[in-house]
Amino acid sequence: MIQAISQLGASCLANIAALGRASMMLAQALWFIPTRKLLRDIVRQLYVVGVLSLPIILVSGLFIGMVIAFQGYSILVDFGAETSLGPMVALSLLRELGPVVTALLFAGRAGSALTAEIGLMKTTEQLSSMEMMAVDPLRRVIAPRFWAGVIAMPLLASMFNLVGIWGGFLVGVEWLGVDDGSFWSIMGASIEFGQDIGNGLIKSVVFALAVTWVALFNGYDARPSARGISQATTRSVVYASLLVLGLDFILTALMFGS
Amino acid sequence: MADYLGEKVLAFSVFSAEKGSFALSDLTRKNKLWLWFCPRNGVTLIEVQQLSFHRGEKAIFSDLNLSIPKGKITAIMGPSGIGKTTLLKLIGGQLQPSAGQILFDGQDVHQLSRANLYKLRKRLGMLFQSGALFSDLNVFENVAFPLREHCQLPESVLRNLVLMKLHAVGLRGAAELMPNDLSGGMARRVALARAIALEPEVVLYDEPFVGQDPISMGVLVKLIATLGKSLNLTSVIVSHDVDEVMSIADHVFLIDQHRVLASGTVQQIRDSEDPRVQQFLQGLADGPVAFHYPAEDYLSALGGEQ
Repeated sequence: MIQAISQLGASCLANIAALGRASMMLAQALWFIPTRKLLRDIVRQLYVVGVLSLPIILVSGLFIGMVIAFQGYSILVDFGAETSLGPMVALSLLRELGPVVTALLFAGRAGSALTAEIGLMKTTEQLSSMEMMAVDPLRRVIAPRFWAGVIAMPLLASMFNLVGIWGGFLVGVEWLGVDDGSFWSIMGASIEFGQDIGNGLIKSVVFALAVTWVALFNGYDARPSARGISQATTRSVVYASLLVLGLDFILTALMFGS
Repeated sequence: MADYLGEKVLAFSVFSAEKGSFALSDLTRKNKLWLWFCPRNGVTLIEVQQLSFHRGEKAIFSDLNLSIPKGKITAIMGPSGIGKTTLLKLIGGQLQPSAGQILFDGQDVHQLSRANLYKLRKRLGMLFQSGALFSDLNVFENVAFPLREHCQLPESVLRNLVLMKLHAVGLRGAAELMPNDLSGGMARRVALARAIALEPEVVLYDEPFVGQDPISMGVLVKLIATLGKSLNLTSVIVSHDVDEVMSIADHVFLIDQHRVLASGTVQQIRDSEDPRVQQFLQGLADGPVAFHYPAEDYLSALGGEQ
């Protein structure tokens, strides 16, 4: 019993210490005046974490939009409300599925890659060699990747939403025969810019901060061994995914609770 | 310091170390000339004072003292696992000591602010055991990296500088290759070119000869000696390759059991009568440094319960 309590205490302390290290890492990485070099690196990283994530985001968005349309139609048609399929697809995507699924996919695709890349750089002493060349790896490696993640994810979520709505249109209108005009006009009338699009974007930005931070810290804090990188990558995806789902609940409660 | 200098210069060094300055009139005409022509040599550049370092409960160094002179090749040798690489990381300020201090040109490395530490590191180059080349940059860009980070140079000047560094290590023709395409020896030479790209005062070599074939090893030995002399570098080589290191070192520190076991010129080390020194130099499997890692009694371990 005492051993179990002491293990729990040790685990709590280790997690608090890790949170402290993660906060220090982020503060040191971001606390400096941006330079032109940083902007160039951010653009390069935007390609790596953003553009290269685009195919999986677009394909997933399309399928999820199509699935919502199928499921929605099968429920709504019973009530003769199939013309409300447009707002159903759009609101589901804008408010919840767009930001959340994009964040989960981003954590799996770009987050794991960031963790593995930085973990490997640490293992092969590339980060140490940078330090010895008087180049701060936090500014040179961590900062551009962090900003790239934060910029990329809301853009990816927006594209996810657009493609998802188009997928819903394909299934609902082209396939199941919902009226084209009703689909778009009711959707347009139902969406509020601030409440739906704005809150969805806020969620995306919060998820981007969380996922990118978790991914970068786990890489930077990885034990410098093959097993260490593997554990860090797994931890990165698991922690980021759980964090996204937890934050989604909190944000949804705050945004739509009343 | 007496190990590196002539008798008259010793008097100057001790005087300047104690007082921080000296009067040229105190010296003879011969000494003035010597100092004029060899201004960098003979002065301690890195001073390790009563250094202790622990990893968890395990002591790596306790009360370690050593002085690294300017413009010389200093070898730090000892068996595997005694913390030679750790010492380089302590000198570079990448690790914090438990006690004691490391003075680099009079500055306490571990008391410096982050900005000043990075400023100091511009005076240091380090050759990592693994080479530590950036795997997504080609050879040219690896060597150009520190120049791009710290110097605002026109591209043509930067290109010439990088090619000169690569030429110095015999790899100008490999500029476009990726690190994966290089042999271990070539990677080490590229890393050396990168380490000297900013023309540092000091280059720290972490096990530069490990895993090298005889030709690569010979090339590296020659390169380290030649670069040291031609650029008047202060070289600190951490290694346990006795013959290679001792062929080029001006001064040797042998570390064992957390502190300096022996120090002196190569000849003084070779002539040492300390059995631990002789065991290390001759590579004897058993001796004062036991073959077996400390363990319980063999027979009782075999007969005991798991």
